Amino acid sequence: MFLDLDKKDKTAVAVIDDSGQSITYGDICDFSKKFHEYLPIRALIFILSENRIGSLLGYTSALSNRIVPLILSAKTEKGLYENLRDMYKPEYLWLPNEMVEDMGYETIFSDFGYTLVKTGNPAAAMYEDLSLLLPTSGSTGSPKLVRHSYRNIEANAFNVLRMFGLTPSEKAMAILPMHYTMGLSVIASHLLAGATLLLSGRSLLDKGFWDMLKEATSFTGVPYSYEILMKMRFTRMDLPNLKIITQGGGKLTEEMFQALAKYAQEKGKQFIPTYGQSECTARMAYLPAELALTKTCSIGMAEPGGQLSIIDNDGNETFEGVAQGEMVYRGENVTLGYAYSIDDLQKGDENHGVMHTGDLAKRDADGCYYIVGRLKRFLKIFGLRIGLDEIEGLIKERYDIDCYCKGDDEKLIVLITKADLSDEIISFIEEKTHLFHKNIEVQIVDAILRNEAGKVINQ
Amino acid sequence: MTNLEKLNNIFAEVFNVEVSALNADFDNKSVEGWDSVHQLSLTSAVEDEFDIMLDGEDILGFTSYENAKEILKKYEISL
Repeated sequence: MFLDLDKKDKTAVAVIDDSGQSITYGDICDFSKKFHEYLPIRALIFILSENRIGSLLGYTSALSNRIVPLILSAKTEKGLYENLRDMYKPEYLWLPNEMVEDMGYETIFSDFGYTLVKTGNPAAAMYEDLSLLLPTSGSTGSPKLVRHSYRNIEANAFNVLRMFGLTPSEKAMAILPMHYTMGLSVIASHLLAGATLLLSGRSLLDKGFWDMLKEATSFTGVPYSYEILMKMRFTRMDLPNLKIITQGGGKLTEEMFQALAKYAQEKGKQFIPTYGQSECTARMAYLPAELALTKTCSIGMAEPGGQLSIIDNDGNETFEGVAQGEMVYRGENVTLGYAYSIDDLQKGDENHGVMHTGDLAKRDADGCYYIVGRLKRFLKIFGLRIGLDEIEGLIKERYDIDCYCKGDDEKLIVLITKADLSDEIISFIEEKTHLFHKNIEVQIVDAILRNEAGKVINQ
Repeated sequence: MTNLEKLNNIFAEVFNVEVSALNADFDNKSVEGWDSVHQLSLTSAVEDEFDIMLDGEDILGFTSYENAKEILKKYEISL
């Protein structure tokens, strides 16, 4: 069974969610059998996810029964959902009961607040080892998906288990969304360990979150989560159960990194920053806790089971010693590749275990890596991945004007040529990406100037 | 500018709405897009504007226009 779920202690609590409901490992196995009775074939299913038990059971049951899910947020913008539905034609949906009526499909069965519906689409042809699909960007409307194998998910779960030394006694605060690769990595690694997930869809500004955190032995967040935690002055709170605080999904500021390292040292906790991408089933590198105070903002070294290297400007690949260039990762968690259309679901492994990350890194003499920039054009704001080419495409399509996007991890800057569209474009981007309007700036220019190679020069 | 006007401007700016839209029903249930980013942006702006430091509990409690006014009173900001 997926993640050997049938080999855990059947009576151990696997998940507790915001409703206070809990399920055991035995419940997960029973539910998987039940799911199989209603859906006995290999099929493509969309899971419209929320961080609650019903949603998680859809995931574990699909993976255990060789049903291939595409996991999307239940709050996915309608246009984006319809686009994905029309492109990939799922045979089934697993969705919150509240959404069933609007969809208008035939109901197969309901349990734990979720319902299985049948769309009437024909079965899709899929590669035999395809296990899971995730969107590369949660929001910008791109139909580009990451294709995972069964081994990818197990390798990631096992590597993360080793990285943190996870045991069945762990209680992990799982607040990152299930449709997000890091969120799924927290879930899979702790289920593999036979541990307990505190699965929450609450905002970090909800009192219920703080009550749950008191029980947790670990917390996994993105940089923005830590901004909220710091704002709430959690370093002064009494959280005796909390042993590990870990982070992924973008770079912490130096100030935040040092504050967390210092907090961990003073309170006898472990601060373990990690690095990853959805293309590598969430995680690739981690900084061991004992280095947090001395290697500020480093992503550390490859996780157990993986290998990092750098390819410098001359094309030389090195695995140790001081170097700078594109960072490359090798490991069993490197995904199969992308899908851009339903036909791509038949594709096999295109990456062969090697991922050119698109991130520029330097490596110090101790073998610790630091991310210094990106080769690929995207920003990460509040953990949201903002593809600049995708935003440009959306604006050009909607407004028929020339534009250029740039920015940093604080702000998206959009250069346009029509002054009167400024407010409208901010609202448009806010709607499409769920970025906060204060993180979007529109600058008006006379023209977008490009050189002969097509590269924009009015930066 | 009065304290109430200052508070109104902060809400209008954060949620991109007219001041006239602010009323007793303006809360995290009825206002679309009221998420942690908006709430934290509100509390940070309030802290800067009134030169106060909100308790964690009060940051959590900043879930409506009415609550915001009540919380400010605790910090002796008269509205």
